[in-house]
Amino acid sequence: MKLKEGIKSKNTVVKCGADMILPFAIVFGLAVILFGTVSPGGGFQGGVIVASACILLYLGHGYGVTSKALDQEFLEVNEALGAIIYVLLAACGLFLGARFCQNVFFDNGSVGDLISAGTITFMSFAVGYKVLTGIGVLLLLMFGLLGGEDDDEEEAEE
Amino acid sequence: MKKAICLISLAAILVAGCFAMNYSAKEVPIAYDGSGFSPAQLYADPKGYDLEDPDGVADLIVRTNLDRTMAANNVAAVVFDYRGFDTIGESFILLASIAGSYAILRSSKKRKEEHGDEA
Repeated sequence: MKLKEGIKSKNTVVKCGADMILPFAIVFGLAVILFGTVSPGGGFQGGVIVASACILLYLGHGYGVTSKALDQEFLEVNEALGAIIYVLLAACGLFLGARFCQNVFFDNGSVGDLISAGTITFMSFAVGYKVLTGIGVLLLLMFGLLGGEDDDEEEAEE
Repeated sequence: MKKAICLISLAAILVAGCFAMNYSAKEVPIAYDGSGFSPAQLYADPKGYDLEDPDGVADLIVRTNLDRTMAANNVAAVVFDYRGFDTIGESFILLASIAGSYAILRSSKKRKEEHGDEA
């Protein structure tokens, strides 16, 4: 019970630290997704980094703010959207008379340009979008188990 | 009867494994051991890198990557182009895991609410 009280009081240092790191985590994760084809990184890794912003929000502000700020149903729908975009990009090869998952339009620009790799870049974006929304939903579900008790206690106290 | 079938199948798997080990020990397939490959040099100068040293599948990918994909990051090329179908499966595993955790966590939450109503 003491631990729960310590979490509920929300230390000012933890709150300010979470607020400070949150925008950098989101921007760094998006950069890892964007430049996945020209530098180390990619869709999965960047998506997980962006989803870690959920944890920072929960650490700093608690379950009530997190569940209000992030719409869980919106995230679920957008995860499915990312999967559909990936499959459509992979099926581009079929429509243009090549294999499934074949890279069909890659020869635009010199090596090192962002879109020089064709479908690889956009598949990486789709997977990153899917992973960041999916991990966000998973974290929100876990916070629901963690934070539901705290909210009940607060309501009981009030 | 069941035990006999289980023992026979295990013995068959053992014999097949021994045969496969013996066979693969005689003719060692060409594998990539990583000697003589410098990722830093390849990253600094992708077009002019000396492609003589790599062997096996790595040789094939390093030689044909720029012609086939134009991706500066070889790992991204392997994940999203050479093994794109594999990546679909990986991302659908995430979808399935979320569905499963939804089923488990939602039932526990519902149970808690029911208990709260009773109490």
